[in-house]
Amino acid sequence: MTKTMREPTLQTLGLGTVIDIFQRGRMPADAGGLVEKVFGKSGKRGSMVISGANGIVGAGKTMQLGSRLQPYGVRIVALDFPSAPDGIGKQYPGLVRAFGQDNANKIMANITRLSYDGVNLPAELQQLRPRFLLEAIPELLEIKRAHYKIFREAFPDIEIRSVTSGFPSSELGVGIAHPAFPHEINKIWEVVEPEPSAVTQLFWALGLIPLPVSDHWSFVLDVLFCGLTLAGMRYHQASNMPFWKIDKFTRKLVGPNPFRAHDAIGARGANFLTWSCLHHLSEKYGEVFKPTADLIERKETGQNWYPLNHFRPLVDWSLDTDQQEEFRVWILGPLFQMTSLMLQERRAHLAHLNAIGELCAQFRRGILAVMRSLGPEAVAQTVKVYHRLHPEAAGASWFPEVLGQMEASEWQQLYVNAEHDGKVGVVTISRESYNGDVDQELNRALDWLKAEGIAKVIVTGDFHLSTQMVGADTSDFFPALEKVEEGSRISSGWSRTARRLNDEFEISIGFVGGKRCLGGMLELLMHCHYLVAVEGSELGMPEVTLPVVPGMEGCHWPFRKTRPDHWPRVLELLLSGRSVQASEAVGWLVDHVGPMDDALQMAWKLATKGDHRVSRRAVESSALDGIPKELPGLPAADAPGTEAARRAIVACIDDACHTTLAEALTAQAKHSAEFMLSSACREGRIGAEYTRTMAV
Amino acid sequence: MTTDDLMLPKARIPYGTWGSSYFPAWQTSALAEVNIGQFAGESMNRILGLRGVPKSQLEYLVIGSTVPWHWKFWNAPLVASCLGQRIPGYHVEQACATGLQAVLLAGAEVQAGTYDVVGVLTFDRTSDSPVGVFPERRAHERTLPISDVWDNFGFDPATGNAMITCAGKAARKYRTDRREVDELAFHRHEQYFEAKNSGFLERVLVPLDVLNVQGRPLGRIDDDLGVRRLTLGVVRAMRELDTCVTSGTQTHASDGMATLLVTSKDKARELSPRSEIEIQFVAKTEVRTHPSLMPEAPLFAVQKLLGKTGLTMADMAVVKNHNPFAVNDVIFSKVMEYDWTCMNKTGSPLVWGHPQGPTLTRVLIEALEEAVSLGGGHVLVFGCAAGDVGIAAVLKVS
Repeated sequence: MTKTMREPTLQTLGLGTVIDIFQRGRMPADAGGLVEKVFGKSGKRGSMVISGANGIVGAGKTMQLGSRLQPYGVRIVALDFPSAPDGIGKQYPGLVRAFGQDNANKIMANITRLSYDGVNLPAELQQLRPRFLLEAIPELLEIKRAHYKIFREAFPDIEIRSVTSGFPSSELGVGIAHPAFPHEINKIWEVVEPEPSAVTQLFWALGLIPLPVSDHWSFVLDVLFCGLTLAGMRYHQASNMPFWKIDKFTRKLVGPNPFRAHDAIGARGANFLTWSCLHHLSEKYGEVFKPTADLIERKETGQNWYPLNHFRPLVDWSLDTDQQEEFRVWILGPLFQMTSLMLQERRAHLAHLNAIGELCAQFRRGILAVMRSLGPEAVAQTVKVYHRLHPEAAGASWFPEVLGQMEASEWQQLYVNAEHDGKVGVVTISRESYNGDVDQELNRALDWLKAEGIAKVIVTGDFHLSTQMVGADTSDFFPALEKVEEGSRISSGWSRTARRLNDEFEISIGFVGGKRCLGGMLELLMHCHYLVAVEGSELGMPEVTLPVVPGMEGCHWPFRKTRPDHWPRVLELLLSGRSVQASEAVGWLVDHVGPMDDALQMAWKLATKGDHRVSRRAVESSALDGIPKELPGLPAADAPGTEAARRAIVACIDDACHTTLAEALTAQAKHSAEFMLSSACREGRIGAEYTRTMAV
Repeated sequence: MTTDDLMLPKARIPYGTWGSSYFPAWQTSALAEVNIGQFAGESMNRILGLRGVPKSQLEYLVIGSTVPWHWKFWNAPLVASCLGQRIPGYHVEQACATGLQAVLLAGAEVQAGTYDVVGVLTFDRTSDSPVGVFPERRAHERTLPISDVWDNFGFDPATGNAMITCAGKAARKYRTDRREVDELAFHRHEQYFEAKNSGFLERVLVPLDVLNVQGRPLGRIDDDLGVRRLTLGVVRAMRELDTCVTSGTQTHASDGMATLLVTSKDKARELSPRSEIEIQFVAKTEVRTHPSLMPEAPLFAVQKLLGKTGLTMADMAVVKNHNPFAVNDVIFSKVMEYDWTCMNKTGSPLVWGHPQGPTLTRVLIEALEEAVSLGGGHVLVFGCAAGDVGIAAVLKVS
């Protein structure tokens, strides 16, 4: 009997829990079987049709799905008007970069391009046996319905999904698979269907990230993205501040720059889509969604939001403290109100609702995480003040009562979940980068498992939202660039969390199931008693390239867990910033590497004390002697900042290793925090990002 | 005087919706680096934002400038695009009368009932003015290159004389005393610094941050750079360039912009932060005097204006003028028997410079602000312009 802290997101796809995966020692669905289910058996395999294939969405998805389905012999049919400009050819250079020339050629060769007049399907289509239509034609309801009709008349059993960003399934009469920009690489799809289908599960098995959402206008992504854009437009109306500057303040406040995004996507199409979403939302939900005159004008003209290049902005705008607060209210007020509506309508699993903003709309933190950190009263107060500024918005679609549920585990565990079967616990992290939210949630998850009496734990990604572990979220370091206390708080706090995996459980296993595990995430998992990785995954400590000094005990913990003859390899990892294949790190960093099923099974054996024949590497708690301070053959640093970071890392290793385990945490945190105040760090990538984002 | 006697009875200037940049002397600030039309448009938007006026209220735009700027062919619509509001409009140019003329023409648009809210936006960059090449087959030089600011200041084609010659000639005609001219110039500087120190200028002038093409700070326009605090001794010691004209008794070229709105009565009430204040157009005159006697032209314009309206100098709460030469004010006072210490109380172009297009707009804005602080009354604004022209207008603040 599995018990979970909150519903695992995999369950929304009909794929069970994460602990099921470890218990069974295999993934819950395989792409080959699902291809057969959706497209038919090999030899009689049908094709996938993408209509509007030369458009931005269509071309991107032709590449993304074409590259994944080509190995299974599923032909891609790219359908469009004869006059449509070639959007697919433009994708070829990217395809070559991602897959190499030969594979790119194979993928392109698997695409059959057909033209049609919008009324009659081409005769050749019949012999290609279409089984699945992904419709990516213009956002006009009647045109879409007519399109489905001609396909259904010709191919009655065809599965159809629309990429619509706004129309509910109930209006269209087909399922929704709404993808996020940039379409060739973004793996997220909002999915609307009564039950998880084979198509959705196939998407998951192909490495994509389908997120079930409810059948409401504009789902989640475009409520957030169009809503944020609208909030910026309203502030523009109220203040005259140009859109480019609103973008900068918006990026500082929440992360996205929605007006730049419209221009980058293509203003003509993006303006229309944003207007379409907001127009329909306002008809159903009222004034808070009503498009402004600026948007209506730009919908008709296709004008960019930013000035043309020869008129790059000349006069800057600044905000004093009071004005910044007013700006905050103009932006967050409507976003909070719109989110209350989505919560009221239960538009998605809360982890999904939160993650969509981060993964598809550049939010630094998901909207629910932002609201949670403010607390229900402050959120309600923000909306109240917003309604004073924009009284018409107060009339409808505001549900303050949903904020009362903020203490529930669905709200509290947006990024980290825990499951157990009474003996073994599994902690799943659904965020690719570690930040303060993850840290707090991880602590709550560990508390919960301990309270449930669980002493054995596997820490892993969630097999859904997180496909890799890229390290710390460096935007969390921004305050540390100004104050050493902030750096020290982050470093020591996160390290204490990591140590719980070593100190508070009888057995802990870190599981690397994705493409890579780097930096802070690797430091976290190396605190587990065992580290198991899937073959092909990469492990690395790229901090030196940013540059920062690792803050979660990376400068002493791996030395304490391995033999002196392996110390140069650890040092190389730290000083070069280069990753290693997990298979090359067995014995000194990783305890077992194998194909997915094998790795899953080994993790479970380790957790259940099965016959695993892997010895546990002890952590040396006394001071270490003989750690090398130099690495022969290390290439010269390519920048002064890297050189400074190398010196700081060596000094940190020296201090943290030449003391006891108990004292090492403080030594490591001190070095990490102090380096963040250095000119090397401030002039590096984090400093540049800080300046770009925060020094508005 | 009744409403029926007003020049533009339907037009108002909404109090507190105006603003001007500081006027840094040419070649001293980031304004020397910019397309001044774009700068003016973006600055007007910024000023309206600071004044709480949504730019969407604008229906029409009258721009005024005298020095050609990049893409000036595209005129007011382009500047309107730079301020973020796609509205029509046109360009007006009358040398240093441009600023006042543009305001009056905007009033005419409102008076005609064409628009309820007309923006007036005047600007000029004298720094690095463009050089025009004029192929003229009949001219003995065949092709004439003209550096717009410098060559025009130095040569009035109608008379063959330079601007400075006008000042010297007028000084000789009116037998002005160099000592009085120096004292006046010194006093004008003192008036400016008194207004600056009192905080008055901050009510009309807006600091503006200029960005480079990378979006990084290029410079802050927050001072009338080039204005020096002079002693009377220094002014007296300056070399005379023409009769009663020294570098201390004449203005200097500068860069900048100034903007205000002209609206219907109802819109003025809606847009002004102090709707109880009403600013009306009473009358305007223009004259052209004898060749190369430009400094006396404003005097004649004011005399004509007073005759037309029946008002006297004693009726004026605020008197302010565009005075590129100190002799302008000495001549005016001498003939009008008006104490020159009673005018230009918050500074004048003699001190803070001469960017041409926006000069009289800033004069007007400062004059209106001064009148409001005095509790209202008639405001006399006047000045000279190239071609021996004088312009004068009376507004009423109540």
